[in-house]
Amino acid sequence: MANPLVDDRGLSFVLYDVLGAADLARLPHFADHGRETFDAWIDLCRRFSRDVLYPAYRPLDEDPPVLVGGAVKVHPLLREIWPRMCELGVIAASRPFEVGGQQIPATIALAANLYLMAGNCAAYGFAGLTSGAAHLVEAFGSPALRERWLAPLHEGRFAGTMALTEPQAGSSLSDVRTRATPSDDHFLLSGSKIFISGGDQDITENVVHMVLARIDGAPPGTKGVSLFLVPKLRLAEDGGFEGNDVSVPGLVHKIGWRGLPSVILALGESGDCRGWLVGEPGRGLAHMFQMMNEARIMVGANGVATASVAYLESIAYAKDRPQGRSVTDRNPLSPQVPIVEHADVRRMLLRQKAIVEGGLALVLQAALQADLAAHAPTPEKRRRAQLLLDLLTPVAKSFPAEKGFESNALAIQIHGGYGYSSEYLPETWLRDQKLNSIHEGTTGIQGMDLLGRKVMADGGGALSILGEEVASACARAARAGVDPLWIEALGRATADVGALTMELAGRGMGGDVDAMLLHSSDYLELFSTVVVAWLWLLQAAAAKEALAEARGHPDMLQGKLAAAAYWLRFELPRIGPLVATCREGEDSYARVRPEWF
Amino acid sequence: MPLKILVTAKRVEDPESKIKVKPDGTGIVTDGVNYKMNPFDEIAVEEALRLKEKHGGEVVVASIGADKSMTEIRAALAMGADRGILVKHDGPLDPFVVSAILDKLFEKEKPDLVLLGKQSIDDDQNQVGQYLAERRGLGQATFASKTESLESEAEQKKQPGVVLAADGKSLRVVREVDGGLVTVDVSLPAIVTCDLRLNKPRFASLPGIMKAKKKPVEEIVAASLGVDLAPKVAVKKLSEPPKRQGGLKVADVPELYAKLKGEAKVL
Repeated sequence: MANPLVDDRGLSFVLYDVLGAADLARLPHFADHGRETFDAWIDLCRRFSRDVLYPAYRPLDEDPPVLVGGAVKVHPLLREIWPRMCELGVIAASRPFEVGGQQIPATIALAANLYLMAGNCAAYGFAGLTSGAAHLVEAFGSPALRERWLAPLHEGRFAGTMALTEPQAGSSLSDVRTRATPSDDHFLLSGSKIFISGGDQDITENVVHMVLARIDGAPPGTKGVSLFLVPKLRLAEDGGFEGNDVSVPGLVHKIGWRGLPSVILALGESGDCRGWLVGEPGRGLAHMFQMMNEARIMVGANGVATASVAYLESIAYAKDRPQGRSVTDRNPLSPQVPIVEHADVRRMLLRQKAIVEGGLALVLQAALQADLAAHAPTPEKRRRAQLLLDLLTPVAKSFPAEKGFESNALAIQIHGGYGYSSEYLPETWLRDQKLNSIHEGTTGIQGMDLLGRKVMADGGGALSILGEEVASACARAARAGVDPLWIEALGRATADVGALTMELAGRGMGGDVDAMLLHSSDYLELFSTVVVAWLWLLQAAAAKEALAEARGHPDMLQGKLAAAAYWLRFELPRIGPLVATCREGEDSYARVRPEWF
Repeated sequence: MPLKILVTAKRVEDPESKIKVKPDGTGIVTDGVNYKMNPFDEIAVEEALRLKEKHGGEVVVASIGADKSMTEIRAALAMGADRGILVKHDGPLDPFVVSAILDKLFEKEKPDLVLLGKQSIDDDQNQVGQYLAERRGLGQATFASKTESLESEAEQKKQPGVVLAADGKSLRVVREVDGGLVTVDVSLPAIVTCDLRLNKPRFASLPGIMKAKKKPVEEIVAASLGVDLAPKVAVKKLSEPPKRQGGLKVADVPELYAKLKGEAKVL
């Protein structure tokens, strides 16, 4: 059987049994939906990815785009795949009916997208970027901009990009230098951008770049940055399209996501690149950041998907590959056993499972909070969900990327020498996965965001909401008959993180922000371990409930309990030393001097 | 000329699922098995939609089974069919009974054309279309295929493989037969069963799924149709095919010959 990309039963279990996502249909905004449309949409994306996207995965990796006469040519298979993917309705699935979407909850859209990402992250990437660009136009564009650009983006006739990064302004976006000079109803843009995914291709009629630039005379720093819509081709007087002085001087050669071109963009080399302001002047970064939770959860979902497909590949391999015998079997003529019979291989598989399915629950939980933050019935519930979403976002962005990379490495390890060869796929997924800890805010930035901003938000309110969620998970687990040791372990770890947070916050409030943020990456790691432990305890509780009611697939449920045990008993205690080191303020990497390297 | 087309959508086990026979041989283990529309029926639905897109008309999709078969009807509606009929029946059916039920639906709907999968992939019987034609006394064209490949331009443009005559009174159908293809004309109304190489079914879409929710589906209790629902075929026992034995190496051609003649008895 071909790689299923994502475990169907496991996904359904997390969505409905653990998170109760079917209840979303009770919210007025989702009243046209129900479990039936949720499942139909997930099933459609699943089939499309298995039948169309996944078979194109290796070809796209092997033949990356080329630059011919200033234009990017992508893999010819994409010309076939793109219109079909758009016809499904992927781009606007979760947008409101009034802008041509189908108003499906973000949670369900993400569950469906996982299959597309796992099948072919590069091919899906074009759609993800187009959704993001369209959402910016929808949220901040003038009626005229929405009128002109939204429909072709949603239909996939045009593709979108996020043109933020410049050579000197990557993580530090307040340093962008691209200029925008007012001229009639538009601006003339000039400058250059780098690493622009989907920045040019030959599969859509037009490309719509969402560009960060500075209006002439704008103040330095964040407040001087505005957002512009800059099309590759602009509308000409005669109603047709004409060039907009956007050129592609170079392509970036990448180690992963090789089907999706990453380009260098030159804007206004001939002084004739028109852009239209989106939203308010000087609010470009603020507008972008309003979309940031969504974008970062999508990166997390990509991390989960890329680890998932490799995990499922290694399960199939481990059950199929005969090698060696049981340590107690001394007969050299007895048949070899499949490697899954070896405990150490099962250790690696279980670790992958714990990471992949813990990450899956994490990104779905974050998406669920996004749905509730926007559409819960009362302002209080929306506020609560928003705080929890903000808190979970840096974790949902970085955990799947960082631990997913480990999981992808384990997939290679399980394949042994074959895993190290490019004849087998696990190495391609490892290459793809690396991007997820870099783009949309590196892991380092996520750590600072979590510790410097998110856990401190609302006077620690976000952290107490997480505490309440953990307490309610512990109560549910106790009722379901989950091993008390696991519940205690989570309770203790949550208390430890709370105490550590208070202490670090004290350092910050005492004026020593450097000391507070010194261990932000370590803090992110231990915090993520606890958040995922919370989600594993919830899965264990749901598994126990299902077993007691003789619902669900017994093997799947036992597997859930095994992975929960692994995370709560093996992984969670590892945060102890990390918490101690952070509290102590161990400062080796603060003290080390550049010249000592 | 607009065509009214009745098309079938049977709920079957997903071939990607692992199918196991129950230890007592009374059926298969359904726990953990996924279900989907019979792939041959999916081809029939696609062909019906293409004919409708070209000539106009209506596509009515029917399924027979428990309530869950509604999923397959909705799937066909999401692809673009206009309305559905669910004939509710719990319990075993055989092709003879199914054709009797479809016969009643034919009487009720009076379609110009019935499109069915050539067989369903669960029991692989390949009889319903033929029985139905016989019951109605109508012409049949089984194993509909086409001369163009599934990579051809006509297929890319979603042209129907089944061709309606200019006078709208008959269909030209390319049939897949042992040894090649044969072209037949069949007068309407007609029964056509679809083979694998007739078309590549489209995927539904999210807008299609949402529209499908609002399309009418009539539910009919099978027992109300006045059809004898007792299967003529009794399934006595299911068993898995014997495990394949490992191969063996022979030293030379004479030994191979001896084994083929003496042991395998194929020469």
